[in-house]
Amino acid sequence: MEIIAGFFNWIVFLVLLALGYFVGRWKEHAHYASIRKREAQYANVLAFAVRYPPDVVTPQDCRLVSGSVVISSDYFKQFVAGLRTLIGGQLSSYESLLDRARREATLRMKAEAQRFGSTLVINVKIESTTVSGGMRKGLPAMEVMTYGTALKPAAARAEPTG
Amino acid sequence: MRYENRQPDETVNYSTEHPLREFAWLVFGLLGVIAVGAALIGFFAGEIAARLPYSVEKDYAQGIAKHWQDKPRDASAEAARTALRAIAAKLAPAMNLPPGMEIQVHYSPEKVTNAFATLGANVVFYRGLIEKFDSEDAVAMVMAHEIAHAKLRHPAASLGRGIAVGLTLSLISLGVGDGVAGSAVQTAGVLPLLKYSRNQESAADAEALAALAAVYGHVGGARDTFNAFAKLASPGAAPVTILRTHPLTAERIAAAERLAAERGWKLDGERRALPPALARLQQEKRDKHEQNERASGKR
Repeated sequence: MEIIAGFFNWIVFLVLLALGYFVGRWKEHAHYASIRKREAQYANVLAFAVRYPPDVVTPQDCRLVSGSVVISSDYFKQFVAGLRTLIGGQLSSYESLLDRARREATLRMKAEAQRFGSTLVINVKIESTTVSGGMRKGLPAMEVMTYGTALKPAAARAEPTG
Repeated sequence: MRYENRQPDETVNYSTEHPLREFAWLVFGLLGVIAVGAALIGFFAGEIAARLPYSVEKDYAQGIAKHWQDKPRDASAEAARTALRAIAAKLAPAMNLPPGMEIQVHYSPEKVTNAFATLGANVVFYRGLIEKFDSEDAVAMVMAHEIAHAKLRHPAASLGRGIAVGLTLSLISLGVGDGVAGSAVQTAGVLPLLKYSRNQESAADAEALAALAAVYGHVGGARDTFNAFAKLASPGAAPVTILRTHPLTAERIAAAERLAAERGWKLDGERRALPPALARLQQEKRDKHEQNERASGKR
C-alpha cells in the first residue's frame, strides 16, 4: 500500500500515457480503415478546388455543402507534442490527427453532396480552427471544416412561354 | 480536360515514423538535457550561495530568528528549549563552526515529527520528534545533524539552488505550456535537486557522527535515531532513492557503520538519559496515552 501511495502520481501519469498511446493508436487505425472504406464509397462524388465549373453546358443547380469534424488529441500525442514545442520541428504526433480530420470533413461534405444528388463539388476549401484554447492551455482540440459548391444538372424546367 | 478524384496519397501528409521513436528521443534526449542543465545550474547556484559571506545570510535570516524567538512559550517549552540549547552547546565546540556562526536552537510544541536547520543557523526541534527518542544521545544525533547543515551552509545552498533551478524551469515551462509536458520538464529539472538534497543529508550525517564520537565517545545515538526513523516510515514516502529528499534509512545506517569502522568510532556505548525537561515531554505523552486507554476501556 505504501508503495502505491508513494508512486501514485507516477502511476497515474504512466497509466494515462499508456492509455493515450494504446487506445489512441487503436482508434487511429480504426478511423483510417473507415476513412479509406468511405473514400472508395464516395469516389463517384468528385471534389475540386477550381473556382469555375468545368465546361458544363447544361444549367446547374448549386448548393453550398459542408462537412466538419472536431477532433481531440490524446494524452500521449499531447505529451510528445508538448516536448516537441521546446525544440521545434515537425509536430508529427499531430500530423496524422489533422490528416484524419481533413479527410473525415471532406467525406462528410461529399456525403451531403451525394444526398443532394450531386456528383461534383467545386471551389472546395478546407479550414481549421482550434477549440478550447489550443495547444498551450487545456485540451488541444481542433475543428476542420470542408466546404464547397455542389453542382447538379438542373431538372428540366418549364420554359416560360408567351 | 479530364477530371478525376483518386484516393489521397498516403505518403505525404503525415509521418510514418513510429510514434514511440519520437517519444524516446524527446524523453531521453530532451528531458535528459534539461535534467543535466538543471543539475549544472543548481550546482553553481548552490556553490555561489554557500560561498556568500555568512553575515549576508545572517542579515537575511533575521526575520526567521525573530519569528521563532518571539513565539510565546509556556514553562515546559521554555525548559525544553533550554535543555536543547544545552545539548547544542555541548556539540557546537566539537564541530568547528565557521567564524561568526552561532547556532540558535528553537523549540516548537507541535506534534510534527521533524527538526530542521534553516538560514542564519536557526535550528528548530518539534515536540513530536523529541517524543520518539529515549536518550540524550539520540536527540544529540539529530542536533549535530542539523548543526552540520548550518555549518556546511546547506540552507543557503538549497535556497540558491531552488531559486535558480525554479526560475530556469519556469522559463522552459512557459514554452511548453502547463500541460503534461510542462510537468515532465519540472520533474526532470527537480530530480537533480533531490540528489543534491540527499548528498547534503549524507554530508550532515558524517559531520554529526564525528561530533557524536567526539562528545559522547561513541556513535550509539545515531543508531537510536535511525531506528526511531525506521519505525516512522511515512506512508507517502517513495521507496526508491531517486525520488527522495533523504537517503533511505537503511542506507544511512550502513553509511554510518562504514564511517564508524573507518574512523575507529565505537558503535555502541552507554547512553545518557534524556534531560529532565525532555523526558517530561515523553512522560506527558505516555500519561495521556494511558488515560485514553483507560477511558476507552471503561466504555
